[in-house]
Amino acid sequence: MFGGTVRGKLTTLRLPVDADLELHKRWSADMRVRRAGPIGRWHEPAATATWKERWTEEAKEKSSVLWSIAAGDETIGYVRIRFEGAPHAETIGLNQFVIDPDHERKGYGWDAALALHRWIFDFMNMRMAATDRIAADDLGRQRIFEKLGYVRFGHGHAVYYRDGAYVDQYLYQMERETWLERWPNEREYALLGDELTR
Amino acid sequence: MFGPRLEGNGGVALRPPTLDDQKTVVRWMFEPEPSRFWGDRTGDLRGEELAERYKKNAHDPNSVNWVIAYENETVGFTGLFDIDWVARDCESGIFIGRSDLYGRGIASEAVRLRTDFAWREMRLHRVHNWISLRNRGSRRANEKAGYRQMGLMKRYGFRSGQWYDDWLGEVFPPETPAGIFVPPSKGG
Repeated sequence: MFGGTVRGKLTTLRLPVDADLELHKRWSADMRVRRAGPIGRWHEPAATATWKERWTEEAKEKSSVLWSIAAGDETIGYVRIRFEGAPHAETIGLNQFVIDPDHERKGYGWDAALALHRWIFDFMNMRMAATDRIAADDLGRQRIFEKLGYVRFGHGHAVYYRDGAYVDQYLYQMERETWLERWPNEREYALLGDELTR
Repeated sequence: MFGPRLEGNGGVALRPPTLDDQKTVVRWMFEPEPSRFWGDRTGDLRGEELAERYKKNAHDPNSVNWVIAYENETVGFTGLFDIDWVARDCESGIFIGRSDLYGRGIASEAVRLRTDFAWREMRLHRVHNWISLRNRGSRRANEKAGYRQMGLMKRYGFRSGQWYDDWLGEVFPPETPAGIFVPPSKGG
């Protein structure tokens, strides 16, 4: 499926549009993006026609959601999640989370991650969010997850292969209680008062 | 894809699945004992759906599937899944459907055969898996084959009124000086 609008302060998760296809084509072929491991790459590099087919498949896929990340008028990344255990899912698996390397260090990653988790917990009322796709030397994503409240629950050894060597993998999870405790005011709308009894 | 026939000890063998195996095994997933720690006992059991799944498994280039035979009878299945051919890493799984045969070491032997195949025939670098922490039988079978804990996911699943944690394991090939395995027939 494709995801609709989720507003952050600097970024917006929004419906992917055809114009984003060329960016996916570029990101999938950019070694700066790919070296993050599976969280940084959704597919192998391919022609535009193949990317269109991939999007058609994604649009039909009921157990995952793809958003483009926008900052102002620019598309600066994408995020893709899975409903783990669908159709009875209560956990979200974070599969891909990419910020264009040309837009790094502007706070977009953090802002988009916070918006995404508001959707996960405040909007979808999920029990848990987790990812098993973080490379041990990927300090940027680790900082974002740890600041959100994720805890590391696993350490896989020599899992990803790149630059001629193996890299370890960290696994993270965050439960809804942690989200509510850490981010009690992170809501799309303020709570409404009780409805009048008729 | 399907894996080749592998003869083990104690009457245990791994062999390529047939469509009839697929139908039998899937039905076990709807029974309480085999699904005690796994699955949700729901699914599509129509013949055409099972045939489609069978075909998909056979064609999948990134998995190796076997049924487990005990004294020539199908008792479960096992496999290597989501193979990453660059990292030479994959996930493993096992399911014994015949609960009346639990405790006879069938899973242990099946895991041993599967793991050995991953090193000797596929030249994999690592195999990992997720097992319910409370499923001692499965965890023990994997530990005997060399799997070691690499994580513990809290409150992974819910069964019979309580949360279950999941044990994460990984295993690496036994090291040999030149990285060459010596087959048992040659004293290895």
